[in-house]
Amino acid sequence: MRIKDGFILRQMAGSTVVIPSGTDLDLNMMITLNDTGRFLWERMQTETDVDTLTAEVLEVYDIDEESARGYIEKFAAKLKELDFLA
Amino acid sequence: MSFYKIAGLKVRMETFGRTLKQAEIYRCEPFEDADIVVQPRPEHYDCFPRFSDDDSEYMLTGSDFFRKLLAFDAMMLHSSAVMMDGRAYLFSAPSGTGKSTHTKLWISTFGEDKAQIINDDKPVLRQEDGAWYAYGSPWSGKSTTSLNVRVPVGGICVLRRGEKNHIERYEGTKAVFAIMDQTMRGTNVQFRTNLLRLVGSIVEKVPIYEMHCNMEPEAALLSHSVMSGNL
Repeated sequence: MRIKDGFILRQMAGSTVVIPSGTDLDLNMMITLNDTGRFLWERMQTETDVDTLTAEVLEVYDIDEESARGYIEKFAAKLKELDFLA
Repeated sequence: MSFYKIAGLKVRMETFGRTLKQAEIYRCEPFEDADIVVQPRPEHYDCFPRFSDDDSEYMLTGSDFFRKLLAFDAMMLHSSAVMMDGRAYLFSAPSGTGKSTHTKLWISTFGEDKAQIINDDKPVLRQEDGAWYAYGSPWSGKSTTSLNVRVPVGGICVLRRGEKNHIERYEGTKAVFAIMDQTMRGTNVQFRTNLLRLVGSIVEKVPIYEMHCNMEPEAALLSHSVMSGNL
């Protein structure tokens, strides 16, 4: 899985705000990312999968594998629901 | 050609009807190089089948102008802007919530000599030397009360209807959503990149509030005391 092109990210008010471009902007499509969300977002700019992302998260964050995997699956499901995945 | 100075920018626009009338106070001496040229787009009048040509022209010239504003660190905020003691306070909300009702309350409560409406529908916010200013614009809604002024912004408040009056500061990204909800969001990358940059600066530099309010004078007294810092 991979995130589509054309998103705009900006750090503001303590979060990363993300909006898509090229379509009418429903505010449901404007999301905010925390640090972990931004970490995953950056790694999902190129094709990857849950196993790879889990390994990458475990390298950086002090979290157990099951929680990391659960978080990543939830994150990916949310992006899919928003139609943000290529 | 007709020449205007709107939001401190040199604007050329050929128009008619209410747009021409509402732009009258922005006329200026002819200039060579325009910052913004508002393009007439009569071929798009069909986009508003329920509107007269006059109203369609008003909408289309507005959207063209507001789209081009972003290149100058400026953006429209759908709001009613009132000024008092040298500061502008913008009350934003979806149509029908009572923006104009609230700013009219300021006028009736504090008096016409103290408080004046800058623009009742689409004022301009512009960042100059790192600070935010409110300007009037010809796109002031049905109201022709509009002032050609530049006033430092004291605060922005999103209004909700309520039985009792209550106001509080927005925290974190809630303010970002509130501003994005009431401005033009465009489509292309350049526009949206500029938009996020400007909104980021607004929420950093201007206090943003949410207020539940009724239509009693107490509502104006509360929003004024909190937003002007005279608690």
